[in-house]
Amino acid sequence: MNSFAFEGALAGPRNGLGPAGPFPAAALTDTFDRRWLHYAFLSRDGRHAMVANAAWLGPVDDEEPPKERFTTILLLHERGQPWSASQFNADIGNEPWSAFRLPHPHFQPYKLGIAASAGTPRVDLDLVRTSRPCSSQCAFFHGGQHLRWQSETGVRGSGRWDLGNGPEPVDLIGYHERVRGRWRWPDLGEWVFGFANDLGGDPGRPPAWAGVFTFIRPATDTEHATASFMLWKDGRMRRHFPRRNVSFAVRGELDRDKVTMTPPLARLLGVPPMAPVPKRLAIVARQGDDVVMLDFDAEAAARVVIPSENSIRPFSVNEVVGDCLLAGRIGGEQFAIETRGIVEFAGGAGGD
Amino acid sequence: MATEAASVLVATIDSLARRAPAIIASAARELGSIRLGLHFGDGSLAMLAGEHSRLVARRIETPEPADVEVYFDDRSLARLFDGSGRPAIEALESSLDMRGSREDLLAAWRCFVLLSQRASGLRAVQAIWSEYRDSKGEWAPPPPGEAPDRRLGEAFWEQSQWPALEWLDRRHPAAVELIERGEPVLAPARSLWDGRQSGSWQDAPLIFDNDLDETMARCKGMVVDQILTLIPEREPKAELYDLMRDYVTREGKGLRPTLVIATCLALGGKLEDGVRAAAALEMFHNGFLVHDDIADESTHRRGRPTLHMLHGVGLAVNAGDAMHLFAVDLVLSNLASLGLARTLGLIHEILHMCRETVEGQAIELGWIHRNVVPPADEDYGHMSTKKTGWYTCISPCRVGAAAAGVTSPEWLDRFNEAFRLIGIAFQTQDDILNLIGETALYGKEALGDLLEGKRTIMMIHLFRTAAAETVERMSAINAMPRLAKDQSLAEEMLAAMQQAGSIDYAIRYADDLANRGVVRFEEDLDFISENPGKAVLRQIANYVTTRAL
Repeated sequence: MNSFAFEGALAGPRNGLGPAGPFPAAALTDTFDRRWLHYAFLSRDGRHAMVANAAWLGPVDDEEPPKERFTTILLLHERGQPWSASQFNADIGNEPWSAFRLPHPHFQPYKLGIAASAGTPRVDLDLVRTSRPCSSQCAFFHGGQHLRWQSETGVRGSGRWDLGNGPEPVDLIGYHERVRGRWRWPDLGEWVFGFANDLGGDPGRPPAWAGVFTFIRPATDTEHATASFMLWKDGRMRRHFPRRNVSFAVRGELDRDKVTMTPPLARLLGVPPMAPVPKRLAIVARQGDDVVMLDFDAEAAARVVIPSENSIRPFSVNEVVGDCLLAGRIGGEQFAIETRGIVEFAGGAGGD
Repeated sequence: MATEAASVLVATIDSLARRAPAIIASAARELGSIRLGLHFGDGSLAMLAGEHSRLVARRIETPEPADVEVYFDDRSLARLFDGSGRPAIEALESSLDMRGSREDLLAAWRCFVLLSQRASGLRAVQAIWSEYRDSKGEWAPPPPGEAPDRRLGEAFWEQSQWPALEWLDRRHPAAVELIERGEPVLAPARSLWDGRQSGSWQDAPLIFDNDLDETMARCKGMVVDQILTLIPEREPKAELYDLMRDYVTREGKGLRPTLVIATCLALGGKLEDGVRAAAALEMFHNGFLVHDDIADESTHRRGRPTLHMLHGVGLAVNAGDAMHLFAVDLVLSNLASLGLARTLGLIHEILHMCRETVEGQAIELGWIHRNVVPPADEDYGHMSTKKTGWYTCISPCRVGAAAAGVTSPEWLDRFNEAFRLIGIAFQTQDDILNLIGETALYGKEALGDLLEGKRTIMMIHLFRTAAAETVERMSAINAMPRLAKDQSLAEEMLAAMQQAGSIDYAIRYADDLANRGVVRFEEDLDFISENPGKAVLRQIANYVTTRAL
């Protein structure tokens, strides 16, 4: 598999990621500029989970000529097993797939192949869009720092993956997200991101229900947290519950032996310990007569240790998979699905 | 079932003393020597007071002098402990009346808040209070928001106005996995975001209260299961393997297995490694007990006749030998999972424990053999450090640490002093319970120590302080062979001890050691960050200080 990297000039033309707007194709010029594409999938039988991230980072200080850095990581999970992960240098076969790269017709497959340099874990998928994205959102941190993101649920993936025991066919459904911003990890503080969608239904149609939620709590001005819950039905976002209409709560702790430190290299580097991952997460969103409730029960986590540019403690993203109840009543229509979900509990940089 | 409020309170404190000693110790520290006179809405009365590190609650019929008088109406009582209600601090406005000096009131209030916040998470406490509340049907607090006209099921959850926090706290407090595991800890839910204020998901509470009773029972159960897998189902059953199986499965406190497993987990080890190491240690322990019972001529162990009483000395000695053999096998079974270095560390710790124990046993048996009672408490402390300190407390911790991969002497030694003090206090309390406790609770024969002539801190105190003729008489009783002694002689000795104040002296002696042990625990083990394993160790440390005597 050929390794993909941007070798060209920083401000060079790109195969643009959708309308520029809040996600411009402008070059990353600051060390703290970041851009990434995120993939999170669950298999339709609930057995497998996949998380992948392709990130472009701004040039390091005093680098001549300044050059973007590119990292990719792939994490796979099979129920009952710990997460398996590549290092940050996973190979990605061609320009990373994105639903936001237009034009991008629905139900037309595009390739996404990611593999650890060691060979496994590895995925070779055909991805298709079935749904439409949410409107983009933005969280601010002090000093003009910010993080913008936009997500799209109902991305279906079929193909093969390999955890080291040989290729295995998989049928996935999940969500995709693009992020652009400029922030220092210690200032960002922490976040709880995640999604759950209906794993059943007709594979030729978007999932009946899907939810994506966000909670970003900056390190300072903690009352200026960003919170939202977005609900899709049949491929279109039907409701957005903004911050005042959402509540998040956690309870209990996931056993520490259920948390795998990734990338594998991090285990050799004396990474400081991290707060325990919550066992349960409940989110209730309510607006008028509309209400949505998500109850997530963590099963296994991969702690992705991301080095921080300006603090000794790294930023850690716990990718957590588990059972999930998504229920609610929207416009008088009641629904409840028992499914699987992927939640990120992230934070931990700063405080050195 | 307790039907009066005062009885509910007494039952709660008794349950907590057994199940969550760390909570009682903390509450007792807040209360100090203040006596609370509690008046309940149903007319019942109780006294609550701190005594050393214990909380003593008792029902009373008529009011007694108290530093703080507390009047609970039904509403405040219903919400004081009930985990399904809001914290007491929000509930008690205008339904609780407390009278006393400002300092005493604040101390009493801190004690209540601590009890309601930390104890209400324990299922055993919730059971006592919800049972009582259910018996008072009219108490059931109305659900927040609009009151539904039918019981809400999952399908109708959205009719309530509860946000996420209440969902986790009240409607679905425990994950399925926790219920299946019988997990006794119910940490309260935490709000991350309620629309206005944010909290960090990383702010996990650093206090972990667990139900020590259940934790010890679970640890013991896991260890017994591990051991039973090793005892073969083949002949000779009746003469050997059945004896071993019978002995291993007998009720025991499970203190050693809990210490091993908790230390292993506290230091980041795996549960299964802790269980395997604990099983090896427990097997050695069982072998020692069988032989010890023969040496001491004991008739009962763990509530049942000793092996040699049931099957004769020959078979019992042989079963004890076999247990030691199996223990070696169990230690070696760690090789595959722990690796050579850690297994050698484990073996080293167990060997050291055995050496200390046989030395301690030799000292004690030597005293009995020569009919000598050592003059000073220090002599007892020296013997007890070897026989109990290492055996019961220090070594299990060090073995647990070794199973977690900690083999550096510098770290292992941090367990020594705290658990030495706690071990001696524990042994002294055991000795006291043998004299004043109930056989059913204690598990050994009543006054068995006196019949055996065991040199306890009470006996040392008696021989040091009693008149010469009493000492002479007691010495003569000690010199008699075990089987020639009857219960009346033991009771005579007990009366002499009571007259000399030896039992009270021993209680104070154990209290002092236990309190010093708890202080050393916090100081010496501060290198272990707060985690559930350490919380269990803390409960055990406090168990000795709050044990009802």
